[in-house]
Amino acid sequence: MTEASSKSRPLGRWLFWAVLALPGMAMLIGAYRDPDAMFDLLHPSGEFSVRFMIIAMMISPLRAIFGPRRWLNWLMRQRRALGVAAFGYGAIHTILYLVDLGALQGDWTIIAGEWMLPAILTGYIAMAIFTIMAITSNRASERKLRRNWKRVQQLVYPAALLIALHWFWIDNEWQGMAVHLGPLLLLEIIRLFLWARARHARLPANPSPA
Amino acid sequence: MRISHLIAAASIAIGATTAFTAMPAMATGKVTCDAPKAEWKSRVALESKLKAEGWKIKKSKVDGGCYEVYATLPDGKFVEAYFHPVTFEKLYVSQRGKVLFRKAD
Repeated sequence: MTEASSKSRPLGRWLFWAVLALPGMAMLIGAYRDPDAMFDLLHPSGEFSVRFMIIAMMISPLRAIFGPRRWLNWLMRQRRALGVAAFGYGAIHTILYLVDLGALQGDWTIIAGEWMLPAILTGYIAMAIFTIMAITSNRASERKLRRNWKRVQQLVYPAALLIALHWFWIDNEWQGMAVHLGPLLLLEIIRLFLWARARHARLPANPSPA
Repeated sequence: MRISHLIAAASIAIGATTAFTAMPAMATGKVTCDAPKAEWKSRVALESKLKAEGWKIKKSKVDGGCYEVYATLPDGKFVEAYFHPVTFEKLYVSQRGKVLFRKAD
């Protein structure tokens, strides 16, 4: 979610937003036409949220690994859209969950009976973080929050951890979660490794006056 | 440096392909049953048995050779439960990842 996002051409930007919104539109229409489908849309909507979050999160380590590249600059300009899309699909995911369990009929018994379970609670907290990040994903917030704006956006790291746990506990298995988050973790490890090596190389490079 | 490029590219490629293709078809492996298919009783029969016991069924399907049922229990808990396809014996029940029942081996 970057300040560079407004530099891309308006048409391209709208087109990108439209592409990101397309699966969500299909989901909402599907849920509206057949309420029984809501339950089946829970997993896909959550997955789309995670996927867009992962793509947005991959850009930084990729820049550290590959250096300046045009395709990375392009991705960087789309990062805000990707982040807001991750929020949007997370919101659809949460709404489908609540409506599917009877919220619209005023039946909150199941929802109230399981909110404190680790598998559910992690999802709520991650959604709260996404909400804060999405609300501040605009130029005005960037100016107002100054240095703190970056700190707010860095909340995505604890959010990603919470989502990993949410997914793992809900499914009661780790494969689906690991396939999605594994590559990102690997990229972060490479970034850390390169950072440590660069630091190590810099330290002895202080030539003593001879 | 080049090795890091390779690992990065490979991890993205593998991640992207598996994330969008292989996963949905996989059995979850929480519980497995290996009764011959010819002996299975119908899933509808299991559903009506559970409904008679006060379960509200959301969905049922086959997973790992067992019948997997998503339902609300009479006490209001939304659960995922596994049953043997022939005996309808209850094998496993979990509420949002919290295991409520597991058949002793």
